[in-house]
Amino acid sequence: MDWLEEELRRALARKEPEPGFTARVSARSRAGGRGALSRRWLATAASVLVLAGSGAGYRWYQGVRAKEQVMAAVRIAGGKLNQVQNRVLEVAK
Amino acid sequence: MKTVVKLLLLAVAAQLPAQQIQFNLDHLAGKASNTVDVSLNGTMLQFAAKFLDGKDSEEAQVKKLLEGITGIYVKSYEFKTEGAWAPADLDRVRDQLRAPQWARIIDINSTEDRQTTQVYVRSENQKMTGLAILVSEPKELTVVNIVGNVDLNSLAELGGHFGIPKVETPPQKK
Repeated sequence: MDWLEEELRRALARKEPEPGFTARVSARSRAGGRGALSRRWLATAASVLVLAGSGAGYRWYQGVRAKEQVMAAVRIAGGKLNQVQNRVLEVAK
Repeated sequence: MKTVVKLLLLAVAAQLPAQQIQFNLDHLAGKASNTVDVSLNGTMLQFAAKFLDGKDSEEAQVKKLLEGITGIYVKSYEFKTEGAWAPADLDRVRDQLRAPQWARIIDINSTEDRQTTQVYVRSENQKMTGLAILVSEPKELTVVNIVGNVDLNSLAELGGHFGIPKVETPPQKK
C-alpha cells in the first residue's frame, strides 16, 4: 500500500497557483459581474416599461369608459329634459 | 397627531362622492331588463372631459356642458313587466328633495301614459348648485342628479342630438 499512499499524497499535495492566476480570476469575475449587472438592468427596465405601458393602457381604458358614461348620462338627462320640454309645449298649445 | 387625523379626514372627504341625493335603488337592478348606472365625481368628469373630442360637435357640446359640473349620477331601470318598482322607492328620493335648498320647477303627471316627470333645482346663495330629474313610467324608472351649475338650455339642446328629435320652441308673442 505504500505506493498508493505515495500517489495520494502527491495528488493531494498543496500546489502554488501559476503566476498571474489571481489576476486572471479577478478579471474574469469582473467581466462576468458586469454582464450579470447589465442583464439585471435590462430585466428591470423591461419590467418598468411593461408596467408603465399597462398603467397607461389602463388609464386610457378608464378614460374611454368615463367618457362613455358621461355621454350616456347626458343622453338620458338631455332626453328626459327634452320630453319635459315637449310636454310643456303640448300643454301650452 | 391631530394634524395627521385632520389630513386623513380631509383625504377621506375628498374621496367621498359629491352626490346630493342618495338613490337607494340598487335593489331594482336585479329586476330590471336594462340598467344604466352612472356615477362620476368631479375628478372622473375632468378625466372624461380629456377624452371628449373637441372637433366632434356633440362631444364639444358635452365638454362645454361639463364646465361647472362636479358630479353626474344616473340610475335608470327598464323593466319587462309593470309593478317591478314601488312608489315608495321614488318617495325615498323625493323626501330628500324636500330640503329647503331644493325647489321643484316642473311636475308633470300624465294619466294617459301613467308617466310622472319632476325636475328639481338646488340653489345656494342664489346660485344653481344642482339638478335632479325623476321620471317614472310603469316599466321605467329614471333618477338623475347633476351636481354643479347646470346649463339647462345646453342640456335640453342636447335633446336635438343623439337621435332624439329636438323640440323647436315657438316664437314668443310680443
